[in-house]
Amino acid sequence: MPLENFKRYIQHHTQLSDTHFNELTRNIRVEVVKKHTRLLNQGEVCRFSFFVSKGLLRLYTLDQQGKEFVIQFAPEDWIVGDRSSAYFNQASDYFIDCIEDSEIVFIDKQLIDKASDIDKNFRTYFDTLLHNHIRHIQKRISFLLCATAEQRYMEFVNLYPDLMLRAPQWMIASYLGITPESLSRVRKELAKKHFKL
Amino acid sequence: MAQREIEVIIAPRKPHFVGDGFRVHNFIPSTISMEQMSPFIMLDYGSKFYFPPSDKPRGVNVHPHRGFETVTIAYKGKVAHHDSAGNSGIIGEGDVQWMTAASGVLHKEYHEETFSKEGGDFQVVQLWVNLPAKDKMSSPKYQELPNDKINKVQLSNHAGEVEVIAGNYNHVKGSASTFTPIHLLNVKLHKNGSSAFQFPTAYNTALLVIEGKIKVNDTEVNTDHLVVFKHNDETFNIQAVEEAKVLIMSGEPIHEPIAAHGPFVMNTKAEIIQAFEDYNKGKFGYLEEE
Repeated sequence: MPLENFKRYIQHHTQLSDTHFNELTRNIRVEVVKKHTRLLNQGEVCRFSFFVSKGLLRLYTLDQQGKEFVIQFAPEDWIVGDRSSAYFNQASDYFIDCIEDSEIVFIDKQLIDKASDIDKNFRTYFDTLLHNHIRHIQKRISFLLCATAEQRYMEFVNLYPDLMLRAPQWMIASYLGITPESLSRVRKELAKKHFKL
Repeated sequence: MAQREIEVIIAPRKPHFVGDGFRVHNFIPSTISMEQMSPFIMLDYGSKFYFPPSDKPRGVNVHPHRGFETVTIAYKGKVAHHDSAGNSGIIGEGDVQWMTAASGVLHKEYHEETFSKEGGDFQVVQLWVNLPAKDKMSSPKYQELPNDKINKVQLSNHAGEVEVIAGNYNHVKGSASTFTPIHLLNVKLHKNGSSAFQFPTAYNTALLVIEGKIKVNDTEVNTDHLVVFKHNDETFNIQAVEEAKVLIMSGEPIHEPIAAHGPFVMNTKAEIIQAFEDYNKGKFGYLEEE
């Protein structure tokens, strides 16, 4: 099943045939993991990008006091990893943990290289993904610098429509760069505006 | 005499926790589908379980619902609840709360404070009843049904008593109003007491043994088991092998498409997406987290 979802995802974005997909993924690592499982530790080199077939992951870092800062969530059909660690072969600053029981497909550099040899669209697609990632990070920086808590929240729910019901409030507040109390205040204000009895 | 036959007897699945206060066996939709049991689209059964004393009440924090009704029946223990429309209350032993979430509410459910501090046996049923498309976006409402307000029928030959929560039994009307035809009965039978129950053949019908052991027609059924009936006839018979309590549900199926995602049960995927959007925008109101 996890591989079926990965195939659907890949074939939606590239022209990779069933035969080529099967050949490429013959030895691919697929894991069904429990909530709280760690996929990447700070200090390790990130060897994989993780495709989420089912479940929810988060990429985060810790400050010196051990306080957590969520950089990214990855629900179904998202790919998450530490690209800079992988590309520059450097120790990662981040952790990746499962927030829910999850089904994960491990994508390594070899797979991407092989797939790109078979189908040039594949390389183009992975470049698009990289640029999309840069766009996402830039947008996130500008929101963290310039936007109000409500604007950040609205951007968050547009990007992740069902996460308010899947991730704990403190994690979402951490992602938004606000306190859990501020997140509650934003939701309370929105309810005042939109809730009609 | 022709009888409504048993389709299947389902043993309780391994329990899971909803929040930290509700240890439940799910029957619908995990062992029998929403479509098969329509209009009953979810049945969580918290079989009798001892919770030790706790200063912090266990339960389920703020969550939304849209598109259906939740029916909570407390057999043991007490449940406190609050919602975003300002309603709150306590569901005590023998009481029923019939909440029409419809267009949407946020609510939270916890062990009642004193019960939580003292600890004790906890046994509840939560049943979700689907709403027809035309009523899914109607206004939310509550029907609080304390046990003394639930209409009761004494069975002949001192066999026991039937609490008519909804629908009717022997011409006695149920206490709750429903959007589609539903019969929901709590049946208490003394040892060897028996009674026949009759529902339209087309209605999806099941019973859950809350306490004791019973015979359905001639088949023995143990505590905590769910009996799902066929649609071959109207009438079945229950006899208590020992003092027993049984929840009977029977309802006219709603023949409409179901799109369900977490706490939202609608007719189309677009309506589910809309529900998430409305929830995110605060259209379900606000409720303080515990």
